[in-house]
Amino acid sequence: MTTQSVTGERNPIWGVLERIGFWLMVVVIVVWMLFPFYWAINSSLKSESQLQMTPATLVPADPNTHGLSVFVANYASVFKNSAFVRGLLNSAIVAISVTLLALAIGSFAAFALGKLRFRGKSPSLYLVLAMTMFPQIAVLSGLYAMILFLGISAIPGMIVTYMLFTLPFTVWVLTSFFKGLPLEIMQAAQVDGATGFQTFVQILLPLTAPALVTTGLLAFIAAWNEYLFALTFTSIEPQARTVPVVIALFSGQVAHQEPFGEIMAAGIVVSIPLVILVLIFQQRIISGLTAGAVKG
Amino acid sequence: MATTEVMLNRPANKKASASFSELAKQEERLAYWLLLPTFLVVLIIAIYPLGSVFVSSFTNRTFASSQPTVFVQFQNYRKLLSLDIRRLPPVVDKATGQVKLDKSGGVVYEAPVNVLPTDPIRYKEVSQFSIFGNHYVIGATDPNFIHSVGDTITFTVLTVLLEFLLGLGIAMVLNGFPARSVTRALLMAIMLIPWAIPTAVSSRIWQFMLDSSRVGFFNMASSALGLGNGHIAFLSDPTYQLPAMILIDVWKTTPFMALLLLAGLQLIPGDIYEAGDVDGANKWRRFWNLTLPLLRSTISVALVFRTLDALRVFDVFQIVLAQSRYSMASFTYYQLINSRVMGYSSASSVVIFILILIFAVIYIRTLGVETE
Repeated sequence: MTTQSVTGERNPIWGVLERIGFWLMVVVIVVWMLFPFYWAINSSLKSESQLQMTPATLVPADPNTHGLSVFVANYASVFKNSAFVRGLLNSAIVAISVTLLALAIGSFAAFALGKLRFRGKSPSLYLVLAMTMFPQIAVLSGLYAMILFLGISAIPGMIVTYMLFTLPFTVWVLTSFFKGLPLEIMQAAQVDGATGFQTFVQILLPLTAPALVTTGLLAFIAAWNEYLFALTFTSIEPQARTVPVVIALFSGQVAHQEPFGEIMAAGIVVSIPLVILVLIFQQRIISGLTAGAVKG
Repeated sequence: MATTEVMLNRPANKKASASFSELAKQEERLAYWLLLPTFLVVLIIAIYPLGSVFVSSFTNRTFASSQPTVFVQFQNYRKLLSLDIRRLPPVVDKATGQVKLDKSGGVVYEAPVNVLPTDPIRYKEVSQFSIFGNHYVIGATDPNFIHSVGDTITFTVLTVLLEFLLGLGIAMVLNGFPARSVTRALLMAIMLIPWAIPTAVSSRIWQFMLDSSRVGFFNMASSALGLGNGHIAFLSDPTYQLPAMILIDVWKTTPFMALLLLAGLQLIPGDIYEAGDVDGANKWRRFWNLTLPLLRSTISVALVFRTLDALRVFDVFQIVLAQSRYSMASFTYYQLINSRVMGYSSASSVVIFILILIFAVIYIRTLGVETE
């Protein structure tokens, strides 16, 4: 909307130049955003000898003929790597459980904060808001000591502690959604003799489905990507490692010769579910991300 | 706010008003029951551990050790934060009585080891500087921590600044498309990709791109452009380490910043611009006088979120630089997991927590972020 209004009054050449400049910027932005991802795909399709070619090639090339030569064995060996496959499974268990738990606990709290009257509501809201800024590193040693002391294994440990960063924004986003629901729906339910809790579960919860999808996606992505707690809690329990930890620790027998082809293939495999989620639910993710930051 | 709420089971007729307060109490009880799980979670995984971190920061607690845990007062904090500045005297050549010069004619100064205090804990060199003709050394009992604080703050200031400027530019470009256009939706989906990829994965991708030979993209490209010899050690040369971290973070987080700012831009009603057009305001003036002030609250919130986030940076430092250079968070992690000094690591956690708190308060005071 900013570009069209001004162009008409001046020399048309300016308008054309402006359009070109504008599209040039669009191209630069897209290349800048996607290039590392492209480079990872490119590298994941190279064999060890192709990866060692200098200068590095922009597409997988044959070391001798320099023709296009695609190597897919990295993907096969990644799926034969038991640590990686177990990591995928662990990540799925952790991320799905975290999402469901955060949505369950979060929607309870959000209903109370958004639709009920009680003393102490403002302090509760402030507590939740303060939690969204809470640094994980500040409680790292305390949580780890607690987990070791109670003898909780790493996976349930991660599921519970991930509430630290998923619950606050779940509550925050869902609360604003509940506030926006019309009162008439609840009143109609009460006329029919429903209790407060019944109104919540049977009438309001189904209506919040879009907001539940949004917050659920954000919680899933945050849990899938979490690294600090996962790295710390699995340090004595390697079989519980989630996929970010597996990828970060992925190394060859010789420390300075890391199997980057396989690492890149593993990275692509892990990113694909996220890219698909992003492409399908783009609008919802953005509305959830910006819900806390801008009013409207 | 009161108008959007409902009193559940509000009596329909006045006869029932005797039970009104009873029903209000019922509603309140329901609210507390619904909030209970959230409060339990906050208590168990945030407040209790924070308290225990605070307590153990005053002890010598060590993981997997038979050593008894005792209170050591402020000893951990003293070791973390002790700084000292000493003047380094020039070395005088005993034979000639002249100040000793090195081969290139520079003055040779006393070694910091001989000047810095050693009691009760040895101070090690953090850095040296010259001012008013004198040469000084800064010593600290834990130079790694002092460096990590400096590096993290530099990292935070530069990444947030760059991400804000680039993010604003990108948001303005995207705002040039109609709100419902397919191109814009596609661009926004593309922008979410760097944000959605796990930091562990993007760190490994960038680590490979920044390889110290022409196997890596940056050395390949820079030598093809005639810059550098194709063997720039981006990740082990201290000059390039911090810029590399900043580059990776800017790539990953600028889209997020752009999306926040774009959401703010969309809230600006179009007729404000039309009024500006009538006044003959040019684009730049319009941006400066209309867009930026209207975007103020969005900008404040975005800057606060990003700053608090950048101060606790961990993933990229730990994965790419490991123990060759620390952020505050990765320093704390290595103290806990590798050195197993839980008391000391806890003290470092408390320092980070306080630092983040100070930043939050300063921001909220100066930018006037609205919380409701």
